[in-house]
Amino acid sequence: MYRNKKTGIIGIVITVIILILIVIFSNGENNSNFFENAATNLVMPIQNGLTYLKNKISGNSTFFTDINNLQNENEELKQKNSELEQSLRELENIKTENETLKEYLNLTEKYGEYKTIPGYVINKDISNYSKTIVINIGSDDGVQENMTVIGDEGLVGHVVSVTNSTAKVETIIDTASSISCSMSTTKDSIVCKGTLDGQSELRAMYIPTDANIIQGDSIETSGLGGIYPKGIHVGTVKSVTNTQNIVDRYAIVETAVDFDKLDTVLVITNQ
Amino acid sequence: MKKTIINIVLILVALIIYYLQSNFFTWFNIAGIMPNLFIIFVLFIGLFASKTMGTIYGIIIGLFLDFILGMRIGINAVTLGLIGFLAGVFDKNFSKDSRMTIMVMVLFSTVLVEILNYLLKYIFLSINVEIGNFIIILAIEIIYNLLLTIILYPLIQKSGYYIENEYKGNKILTRYF
Repeated sequence: MYRNKKTGIIGIVITVIILILIVIFSNGENNSNFFENAATNLVMPIQNGLTYLKNKISGNSTFFTDINNLQNENEELKQKNSELEQSLRELENIKTENETLKEYLNLTEKYGEYKTIPGYVINKDISNYSKTIVINIGSDDGVQENMTVIGDEGLVGHVVSVTNSTAKVETIIDTASSISCSMSTTKDSIVCKGTLDGQSELRAMYIPTDANIIQGDSIETSGLGGIYPKGIHVGTVKSVTNTQNIVDRYAIVETAVDFDKLDTVLVITNQ
Repeated sequence: MKKTIINIVLILVALIIYYLQSNFFTWFNIAGIMPNLFIIFVLFIGLFASKTMGTIYGIIIGLFLDFILGMRIGINAVTLGLIGFLAGVFDKNFSKDSRMTIMVMVLFSTVLVEILNYLLKYIFLSINVEIGNFIIILAIEIIYNLLLTIILYPLIQKSGYYIENEYKGNKILTRYF
């Protein structure tokens, strides 16, 4: 117990500050932008004012002379500015609308030979050791167990269980997942397993001893194993690790899908 | 009457923790690692209410998590239920008046839950074992849980003694003499 209440509160405040700092520094740029902006906003107005004053003092004699002209000009410019801002906002609206429409079109065009149902990711796993997701379509929409789930860039995973309106998807980066794949250039077959490491890495194992792995080579599903159909893009080879025994060597595959930003998916219903 | 209110509040808190875990902590994380507030919560119920209640709450919360996100029903239920039970054992043997003992309990529980969880997953889901990465993630999770325990301790203590008075009566202090 603390001797008095005050030291207890100070301890808690210090812990909160330490926690926030750890979170910021451990995540690099992701979270720090917000705090950077806050800090800049706190300092910059005064800094700007000081710089302005400094410039004025160091000799600009025309400052007071044509202040009237400047005022008129300022009014005009302000009006013009607001008009321009208005049209800019309209254009931006159109742009985002265009992008969303294009995204949908791309998704369905790319995998045209499959019948698909679009869905949104509504929940991600709260555990640090597994990476399942929940999507907002279920058996009412025609989703069944073991159906393949894809994203815009490539393979996402497969459905493990369904309710009426949601489906649980085991992603390919989950440690319980392993996919039979083949390399696109050499057609050697490998097995890609999920790792605990990071959000977008697979470990390619059981590489044939005579196989030639090329960095940057594209990896796709081989169709073996019965869950995933053939020819769906999984990712690219990032690096190859050679061990003393050539049988044990493995490659790190970077998934095409960014699981951090994944929000729209397609479920393939005919395989 | 008071016990019913306590139970309703506990269930609400469990839901709040769930939303915190799935929304806030996925953003407010340390190097991608989230804390596990459910461990602290079940430990808290087992410590201050009773062993049985801790176990029941652990199993129910665990089942709830298994149904929503788990691959195999029962893994979280077993581990969290065990923590509720262990909390009762802790209560018999250690004092709850010190922040330090609570922190040690949280540390021990986190290690136990995650190792057991990983082991069960290895048995039932045949996951690929990566000891190195597992230890790193576990270490960060422990640190995060401990920091949260320090912050939440006054709340834990105050509400805890309120619940304890309700469930065990006012006879707590005698057994330390």
